[in-house]
Amino acid sequence: MPRRFPKSAVVWQGGFILLLVFALVLAVRNIDANLARAGISVSFDFLSSHAGFDINESLIPVSSESSYGEVLLAGAINTVVLSLICILGATFIGVVMGVLRASNHYLGVRLALVYIEVMRNLPKLLILLALFLAVINALPPVRQSWALHDMIFLSNRALYFPALEAGSGMRLLIVLACLWPVSIFVLGKVARRIQDASGTVYPVFWPVTGVLVAVVAASVLFGWADYPVSYPMLQGFDFQGGHRISIQFLVLAAALSIYHGGQVAELVRGAIEAVPNGQFEASRATGLSFLQMMRLVVLPQAVRIVVPPMGNQYLNITKNTSIALAVGYSDLVSVMTTSINQTFRPIELMTLSMGVYLVICLAVSFAVNAYNARVSSRGG
Amino acid sequence: MSAISRDVPIMKEGSLRAPRIGLVKQIRSNLFGSKRDTLLTVVLGVVIAAAVYFAVDWLFVSAAAPWAPAESCAAVAGACWPFVVEKYRLILFGTYPYDEQWRSFLASVLLIAAVAVSMLPSFHNGRLAWLWGAVGIGFYVLMRGGYFGLDYVQPERWNGLPVLLMLAIFGLVFAFPVGVLLALARYQSQLPAIRAFAVLYIELVRGVPMIMVLFLGLFVLPLMMPEGITLSPLLTTMVALVFFHSAYFAESVRGGLQSVPRGQHEAADSQGLGYVQKTRLIILPQALQRSMPAIMNTVLGAYKDTSLVVIIGIHDIMATAKMAFSDPSWQHYGLEAYLLVGIWYLATCWCLSSYSRWLEARTS
Repeated sequence: MPRRFPKSAVVWQGGFILLLVFALVLAVRNIDANLARAGISVSFDFLSSHAGFDINESLIPVSSESSYGEVLLAGAINTVVLSLICILGATFIGVVMGVLRASNHYLGVRLALVYIEVMRNLPKLLILLALFLAVINALPPVRQSWALHDMIFLSNRALYFPALEAGSGMRLLIVLACLWPVSIFVLGKVARRIQDASGTVYPVFWPVTGVLVAVVAASVLFGWADYPVSYPMLQGFDFQGGHRISIQFLVLAAALSIYHGGQVAELVRGAIEAVPNGQFEASRATGLSFLQMMRLVVLPQAVRIVVPPMGNQYLNITKNTSIALAVGYSDLVSVMTTSINQTFRPIELMTLSMGVYLVICLAVSFAVNAYNARVSSRGG
Repeated sequence: MSAISRDVPIMKEGSLRAPRIGLVKQIRSNLFGSKRDTLLTVVLGVVIAAAVYFAVDWLFVSAAAPWAPAESCAAVAGACWPFVVEKYRLILFGTYPYDEQWRSFLASVLLIAAVAVSMLPSFHNGRLAWLWGAVGIGFYVLMRGGYFGLDYVQPERWNGLPVLLMLAIFGLVFAFPVGVLLALARYQSQLPAIRAFAVLYIELVRGVPMIMVLFLGLFVLPLMMPEGITLSPLLTTMVALVFFHSAYFAESVRGGLQSVPRGQHEAADSQGLGYVQKTRLIILPQALQRSMPAIMNTVLGAYKDTSLVVIIGIHDIMATAKMAFSDPSWQHYGLEAYLLVGIWYLATCWCLSSYSRWLEARTS
């Protein structure tokens, strides 16, 4: 049955839409007039023009010759990489602290409590800036870098370490890295079937990992594959060769992981405490070890509770990487502001960047929802 | 980790009282009950002891005392407290004219007092609007001057604590009613166009970082103004904050709205109340009470995030702290300045979260 709306609803909404359209038209006209006075009009053509500024690190090749489009893409990739690292870090710290908080170990509970409270009551920017300052002051300048076996160098500019260059060794490693989860998954299924049929338990994870490590070790030892490595070397004012990760990135990853770890810890604690006590007692009674109990009984139940708020938390982490600008890491926002200052095209650049954030957030929330559906539908 | 391996003492036959365990034994069984507990105790013990040792050493033992002369800082490895004594006015009030800083101080006290008064449950009614109107005018007059014989101070020189409080508090005070309206617009089904707008607005704002919204205020809002009108960065930032926080308030309030039982709506309808009366008298009071924890969470997060305005060049206390140690003769004492800012945030956030806990305990 089609719903009927009272006349007043039509009037209200008509008025509202008119007002909205009026405000929008006014804003657009003013923007046009203001931009025209500055001699420009809204257009995305500038994206292919020469940007002329370099960004400090990027996964795709970028130089001062690159276009605005390329530089923005590099910034967006940096945002994604930073988000992923922070999500991993915050989850790790949060799970450890959350389990400590839910335990009844005197020291553990208090340590976790102090950590969670401090993180809850401090702004993330303060943590970032204080950590950045402390690290910059503590580390030596590039030419006096701390060296580990003349291979890994740490200075107040970046961490330098040897890099594996493309070659047969690299290809072997990529193949094995793909094989690893697949074989664990397949063999795990087989092992479970055997266990269901006969009750015999075969370990899977460590044997598979051991075999793959042995293959790599053998290939190095017997020279089946070559591993060309480039080492960082101090030349002039900076290192050449190897890989480098900037201090800004390291500090950002650490600060955001520590900050969000506190919030994740609260979620984890809540989820563990929501698992009924009888589950703990029952798994003790069946003779499971602590780790078995956690892995087989408690965590699978806690995960169902924790996934929706955790997804929200991951979205927050992704959005909060935008404070990278405060320490000068070239994330999307930082590249965007530099571009705005150079081109004075705030409308185009802000639309583009907000679009990228919305897409990233939609992707994260889609992934979380898919996982959530899988976890909650498996068994009652 | 012994949430599970708790060793339960056996009850004596014929006794109805649970057996008592001595404190020492309790601690020993908690910390050293199993191999895992012992290992954890040792690891955590070392970490905590090291942290406490370094903190005490830096803060007190090898620090220069606050009353010591400034030159003594160069000789010590720990904190330099004379720096804080020398620069605390700069950190609190920034570049506001030195002789007029009592006005900054008074304006900050006014805002804090107004917040304290608004926290009293007996004030949770229409009087709040009058109070905040008066506080807003008072704050503006004090900070800007130009009236009552006070010297005019241009907004660029408003720095430090009053700016932080102004942006955080007025941002939240204006965002709250907007958020409630958005939540109501999203919750109803009579006006689908308005509802669609609310959904779009809330999801759009919550999908982008706060920094983006602040930059929108900085770059795009001035462009939307007709020729001849220039907005001060403080004003555009405030507007951006209101836009941003209102979406988060809307989501917190919506949770409360959804939890009001259907029967309340029906009862109000059967009493013949119109939409406005029903919402104002029946639905909203219950919804707001139920969503209080979520609202206070939003307030706490928003207050902490106000510090992000530093990134777009507004000078709150984090920026004035940086100013204090940008002075070449004090450039090594940045951590002391940030520690001061940290203590401010810890104290104020603790007050806010205690208040929220108290409120929750009172209403439940």
